[in-house]
Amino acid sequence: MAVCTTGLGKFATTLRFCRKLQHQNERLFSTSMCRPAADSEPPKFVPPSKPVIVDKTQTVTSLRKFLSPEFVPPRQRTVPFKFFLERKDMIRRRKMLNIPEFYVGSILAVTMADPNASGKTNRFVGICIQRGGNGLGATFVLRNIINNQGVEICYEMYNPRIQKIEVLKLEKRLDDNLMYLRDALPEYSTVDPEMKPVPFSPTGEVPVNSLKVKMLPKPWSKHWERPKFNIQGISFDLCMTPNQMAGAQKRAQPWREYDMLREYDTTELEEQILKEVQEEMSK
Amino acid sequence: MKMLAKLGCRLLLQRGAQLISPRAAAESPVQLLGCVRTLKKTTWFEEHLTEDNQTYLRNLMAEEYRKQTASKLNPLRDEPWPRQDWTEGSRRVGLVAVKLGMAPIWTKTGERHVVTLLQVQDCHVIKCLPKEEFDGHTAALVVGGKNVSPFHRSEEQMEVFRNAGVPPKQKLTIFKVSDNAIIKPGTPLYAAHFRPGQYVDVTAKSIGKGFQGVMKRWGFKGQPASHGQTKTHRRPGASGPGGDPAKVFKGKKMPGRMGNTYITAHGLKVWRVNTKYNVLYVHGTVPGHRNCVLKVRDTVLPTRRSTLLNPPFPTYFTEEEVDLDEDLYDDNLFVHTEPSVTLT
Repeated sequence: MAVCTTGLGKFATTLRFCRKLQHQNERLFSTSMCRPAADSEPPKFVPPSKPVIVDKTQTVTSLRKFLSPEFVPPRQRTVPFKFFLERKDMIRRRKMLNIPEFYVGSILAVTMADPNASGKTNRFVGICIQRGGNGLGATFVLRNIINNQGVEICYEMYNPRIQKIEVLKLEKRLDDNLMYLRDALPEYSTVDPEMKPVPFSPTGEVPVNSLKVKMLPKPWSKHWERPKFNIQGISFDLCMTPNQMAGAQKRAQPWREYDMLREYDTTELEEQILKEVQEEMSK
Repeated sequence: MKMLAKLGCRLLLQRGAQLISPRAAAESPVQLLGCVRTLKKTTWFEEHLTEDNQTYLRNLMAEEYRKQTASKLNPLRDEPWPRQDWTEGSRRVGLVAVKLGMAPIWTKTGERHVVTLLQVQDCHVIKCLPKEEFDGHTAALVVGGKNVSPFHRSEEQMEVFRNAGVPPKQKLTIFKVSDNAIIKPGTPLYAAHFRPGQYVDVTAKSIGKGFQGVMKRWGFKGQPASHGQTKTHRRPGASGPGGDPAKVFKGKKMPGRMGNTYITAHGLKVWRVNTKYNVLYVHGTVPGHRNCVLKVRDTVLPTRRSTLLNPPFPTYFTEEEVDLDEDLYDDNLFVHTEPSVTLT
């Protein structure tokens, strides 16, 4: 290479090299040092604006008006003061651990402290099939299929061993209880443990996945076709004859929707509690 | 005497006259006229009042209660009795509390336990019975809890509360106490009397189950459901040995009324005390239904008494310990304001 270049070429490269060095040197020192003689006063140092890193993988706090169902007290003889004391503890825990908004049918990842696991933490990803309990004892069940084995884990929301709850995919299903996934084809309960979180908007409606699930052949763990369970999310026309469906409808109790004693209107209570919770959380 | 009064000498009662004996009635014809037999019914306080007066009376009672309780906290009130120090083997007063419900708690290592919430509502010392008056061996204190309306309490009961200067209470209990732990009647008692880490006994009336069979009441095994059993599945079976005693012994376990009796749960740990709302968080379950009134006192169990070192004696006074936190926690309890538990 050195043999090919002419003398002029050599001079050009050296010039370029010197210019580069000078440029580098200029970059190493601050601008104020480079031109002290040009202005009468030294210009004020303006630091460059810090780059704002927007981490889209982090879950954004939802701006929807959502009250977690465990805050709403059931219809009981307990004095409301007891629920108030429990709510105070729940809010204290929520300030330390972010429990995001999620529904039955969303895909969650829970990291929990486990004395028997390596690294002492245990991460489980699954689809939420049930939310139960009230107050501090609220629970949610996550289901996944790992190595062809269906696994369901019931987590307590306010258990101090839980270190992180992430919502990987926020969506609703046609039912409040997805226990029928136990009798559905395994593909509907499989969730990839390495799944990347799907970004969702903090405002607007929660997307409803109107998926109708295909079932394994009968017998099922429960008679899901009976009107007592009121399941919308199973495609019954693929697994049951119209005769069987009519037979199941015999157990319908059409008078229950008119039973006034069973009514428990929680709208006012929910509004009150939502206001209280939002106030306390913002403190 | 009382029967005559009930039978309808209402006119005489209204005049505030004494009860008439039959002899006296025969002697005084004027009083006979007043002894008219009316309907044998108990009246209630609002029967002959207008609605405005009813609401007025109710509000008046509530106000009086507030004034009475406030007067006990007034710094200008009478001096409490001289305090004495806690010694080994001295017994102190307990409290009367209301069962609110149950909740889960977690320890610092992540174990989950259940606790019962007991709220101390308007607990006052009503009367002091010194050793000689009570039984000759130990002194006793009568403590009442949970204010209740005076309209359904008899005059004798109201007099007891009036002497203490305290609103009428739903439950009155006697606590046997050592001589150095007597308290002046009228002193309010608070939940901070118990501290986290100590053990308590809770006494309450268990939930009434009504007339129950032998399997539920005594835990008998009954008989098999099938294999030829004729009409015998939950019966007691044999009732005794046979021809030698030729009788059924007294106390034989048989069907009967179950529940609604005083049961004590011993050795319950106090995990947390809320001094602002006077709530005790006590380990495990406690007899009684929700919102029932219970009696709470220091444990009688000898192995658990060692945890009671230097308790507030004879009780917790608000003026003396002003800087108590709103929530007192046991050392092992996980408080929700701490970060999540990490096991190493």
